[in-house]
Amino acid sequence: MADQPDGIVLTRHRDLHGRGWHPWLRRSLVGLVALVALLALLGFVGQSPSTTQTVTPAATLSVNAPASVRGGLLYQARFTIVAHQELKNATLVLNAKWIDGLTVNTIEPSPVNEASRNGKLALELGHLAAGAKHVLYLDYQVNPTTVGSRTLEAELEDGEQPVASLTRHLRIWP
Amino acid sequence: MDIVLRAAFAFAFIFFLTRIAGRRELSSLEPFDLIMLIVLGDLVQQGVTQSDYSITGLLLAAGTIALMQVAVSYVNFRFKRVRTVLDGEPIVLIEDGRVLTRNVHRERLTRHELEEQARLNQIDSLEKVRWAVLETSGAISFIPKK
Repeated sequence: MADQPDGIVLTRHRDLHGRGWHPWLRRSLVGLVALVALLALLGFVGQSPSTTQTVTPAATLSVNAPASVRGGLLYQARFTIVAHQELKNATLVLNAKWIDGLTVNTIEPSPVNEASRNGKLALELGHLAAGAKHVLYLDYQVNPTTVGSRTLEAELEDGEQPVASLTRHLRIWP
Repeated sequence: MDIVLRAAFAFAFIFFLTRIAGRRELSSLEPFDLIMLIVLGDLVQQGVTQSDYSITGLLLAAGTIALMQVAVSYVNFRFKRVRTVLDGEPIVLIEDGRVLTRNVHRERLTRHELEEQARLNQIDSLEKVRWAVLETSGAISFIPKK
């Protein structure tokens, strides 16, 4: 006479018949969680900064900013402009994706003027002599509801004459 | 809308985590096991409500989690096969005073922990146990020999 407690099936609950694969499933799922943590350590989900640079005869334009960020995070984009020749009225023109869905906490140093140019943000930086270097900091916070991938375009102009441009991508994780 | 999705995702993810972490973490009160349970609560709140301090946000998040809980318990009640997946199954740890080492190790339990649980059940020796079963709740039930 079987005297095991009600609800206990010895082959299933003692001998574990048909349950041999369960620990492997659990280990695999734990491995999956570990893989996500590893990807995070490698900077896959933000927010390690990377630099994109473009060099033209007139100027060098570079941006140092994270390529991946997450909702609510504070981060910084640093624009560095080195004039190879005189720029009478250096203007940094950013497409709307640099701002849309993000909170710009501050722009330092403040541009001489800010304007909208066909939906883009034009930051007038003023006169740059040949060899001069201008560093512009944009401090952001990601709006929690903003997610997805986007293409960021930045163009350096002298007056309205294009001098240098670059493109980079930003991925925003929920 | 996103707060509802966040709350639903948080519920599903925490459920997933507790299932893969194993049952010993569910009922254990060891300091290291408690870390996961306590810290998770704080981390989840930030991910679900973020900077939303409103009563509406509270209603949405708490309501969604309650609905998820009701849904899971209904599915558990209604479908036996799903219940096995969601809750797991009991495992016999001791039979007639003999510790089933393979089953005990599978749940990352030690003999010391078994003895401790037995003492908590007023049993001074594992040899006096007829059956010990690790239940799906993470608790160990002991049935002494007659």
